[in-house]
Amino acid sequence: MTLRESPLGKELRVTGVRLPAAAAFRLNEMGIRPGTLAHVTQQAAFGGRVVAVAGSRYALDGGTAALIDVEPVQRRR
Amino acid sequence: MSCHGPASDPDLGRSTTATLPATLRVLLIGGPNVGKSTLFNALTGARQRTMNAPGTTVELATGTWRTFANGTRDGATERAIVDLPGTYSLLARSVDEQVSADALRDLALSSVEVTGQPGVAVVVIDATALTRSLYLLAQVAETGVPLVVALTMLDLVTTATDSPTAAVSSNTLAAALAAVLGVPVVPVDARNRADVGRRDLARAVDVVAANPRRLTGIAALAPSSCCGTPVAVAGAAVADLAQELAHAENLFAWVEQVVEQVSRFLATEAGVESPTTSERPPRRTFSDRVDTVLLNPWAGIPAFLAVVWLLFELTTRFAAPLQNVIGQLVNGPLASGVTWLLGLLGLGDSWVQGLLVDGLLVGVGTVLTFLPVMAVMFAALGVLEDTGYLARAAFVADRAMRSLGLDGRALLPLIVGFGCNLPALAATRTLPHARQRLLTGLLVPLTSCSARLTVYVLLAGAFFPRNAGTVIFGMYLTSVLLVLGGGLLLRRTAFRDVRAEPLVLVLPPYQRPHLRTLGMSVRMRLGAFVIGAGKIIVGTMLVVWVLMALPATGQHAIGDAPVADSVYGLAASGIAPVLAPAGFGNDHAAAALITGFVAKEVVVGSLAQSYAVAGPDHRPAGSLGARLRESFGKSSGGHGGSAALAFMVFVLAYTPCVAALAEQRRLFGWRPTAWALGAQLVTAWVLAVLVFQVGSRL
Repeated sequence: MTLRESPLGKELRVTGVRLPAAAAFRLNEMGIRPGTLAHVTQQAAFGGRVVAVAGSRYALDGGTAALIDVEPVQRRR
Repeated sequence: MSCHGPASDPDLGRSTTATLPATLRVLLIGGPNVGKSTLFNALTGARQRTMNAPGTTVELATGTWRTFANGTRDGATERAIVDLPGTYSLLARSVDEQVSADALRDLALSSVEVTGQPGVAVVVIDATALTRSLYLLAQVAETGVPLVVALTMLDLVTTATDSPTAAVSSNTLAAALAAVLGVPVVPVDARNRADVGRRDLARAVDVVAANPRRLTGIAALAPSSCCGTPVAVAGAAVADLAQELAHAENLFAWVEQVVEQVSRFLATEAGVESPTTSERPPRRTFSDRVDTVLLNPWAGIPAFLAVVWLLFELTTRFAAPLQNVIGQLVNGPLASGVTWLLGLLGLGDSWVQGLLVDGLLVGVGTVLTFLPVMAVMFAALGVLEDTGYLARAAFVADRAMRSLGLDGRALLPLIVGFGCNLPALAATRTLPHARQRLLTGLLVPLTSCSARLTVYVLLAGAFFPRNAGTVIFGMYLTSVLLVLGGGLLLRRTAFRDVRAEPLVLVLPPYQRPHLRTLGMSVRMRLGAFVIGAGKIIVGTMLVVWVLMALPATGQHAIGDAPVADSVYGLAASGIAPVLAPAGFGNDHAAAALITGFVAKEVVVGSLAQSYAVAGPDHRPAGSLGARLRESFGKSSGGHGGSAALAFMVFVLAYTPCVAALAEQRRLFGWRPTAWALGAQLVTAWVLAVLVFQVGSRL
């Protein structure tokens, strides 16, 4: 599943970033890297997504959101 | 934090100044929107100035950070402080980021080469975004410079975010970070006038300058291998990137470890229940709820347009009346006062009176009447920035920009362009690629800056008094269409290689703008405008007056020639026939467009001046509109309205000002600048002719 396909509010773990190397590197530096927990807080126009990571909100364009792979987190209750 | 060295004395005073060098160098470094500049303003007050980083057009604010011993006015300690451009990483991807990395590297190198105290980096850390801030902190520590952490955004931690540290008080969080990091951590609230954090920060900086501490778990690298080599800007080779990534992985691991240790520290020392994200369910914040409307697929774009509409209502309905009042004050009481004074000195009706009243005073008046519009625009942009909406605007506009091969970030310079093209050109530097910067830089002059607004306000008021607001809005719409059209054209011709970068924008939590900080920034920008643009404007007005006063024929004395017989009139008459197909082939319009080349601010002043000097009879100043209608009506064969519209379109599309040209040349070189200049003149003429020819036939 990609970030673009993820439903609102579902807890996710980033599994991969398939952007060009330089862009993926900056994304990693900004805090979105494999292993980080995330959830989509807003679905904007043209596939754009707002993603919550460690308390921050990141706006990603639709194309970028479609290149970030995620998996649902199974929460222990 | 434990205190060694001079600052362990609670009186940070004479004993400290004796052991520190005369001026300690302090660099403020941190990510974008972490409150760095607010802190800088709070530390320096009015003791600051802006300058360009050497060899670049990236603006750096430098200032003096002065503290006194225990609130007295003696024993002042002064530090030279620089506010570096915000960056997420020292591996720079833009020239701005490179400036920050270079400044830090210089500080690190001088600490190796020069003995004693070289300087201190104050790393500004956003308490709501610890992981992102800690990564930059680790990179700064690797340079080996002595550092202090300033912890900001603490007021937002508890209210506006679902940050992992949300449940923690600011002092507890600072203590936890200081214990884990091994360097001083000072919570600061720069927006609060009586902030004790600033005094603590001064003390920590002085302590660290004397006794640098090492960041726990991070070793300093050799200066040659730190701070991101310039190759990182252009896009490093894949092999280099792999190497950098491998190194960054170590820092990421360190960041995770610190976050883990901080949460354990908080759990044991402060009794705060493990605040790490992994155990906390997602929480919807206030900003999330606002964004469901403002970033909604359907409501987002209308909301964006509404904000832009509001901006122009403010500049027309609010600022324009103030503009008139100032104009009347300068032309009325002030002009009469100067005339009276010159009369007393025996200089009445001489060329000196002409120079001072019709030249200098008109120039000064133009600058002054311009202040309300500029103040409103600066304040509005400041509010958009402070509230956090500007980042949302960039996100909403991303798709539109993307069709131009640009990402949403290109909207920021383009929006700033509607205030003034000059800072907009400088703001293109935030785009990560040179070709994107050039493309945006060529589009910026098509954004209708507020200087052009003065022309619209004058002409729309004179020719369309009932629909002035609509006409002005139409001009802005035309400007947007020109940007889009120009962008699409360039993308399909000279810029086929430009591709959009992935958009990754941090959305700051919504905040109430802070009036004192806002007022300060408006004051600084207005001051820079008055000093920077004011000189050019007044200078131009004086030159225009001299050209108008110099007779082209021998029949008149200096200062006594009608405009048509002056050197200026001769030049304007030469150009006027070229403008005839656009309906404004009159000497006044031609002359105003010539001076508009220097700066758009002077178009209105030049029109006013040329009509004021025109006749030997000194008609009252208020009839400028009537005189415009008269001469535009004559040159257009009775279609004054269409001619005025065509004139406005011409003013919109041709070269913004000499200063913008100079800035373009500096950023992009002569060739693109000359090419753009020619293209702008041709576009302006063709569009103006089109508007007049169509308009006059309707």
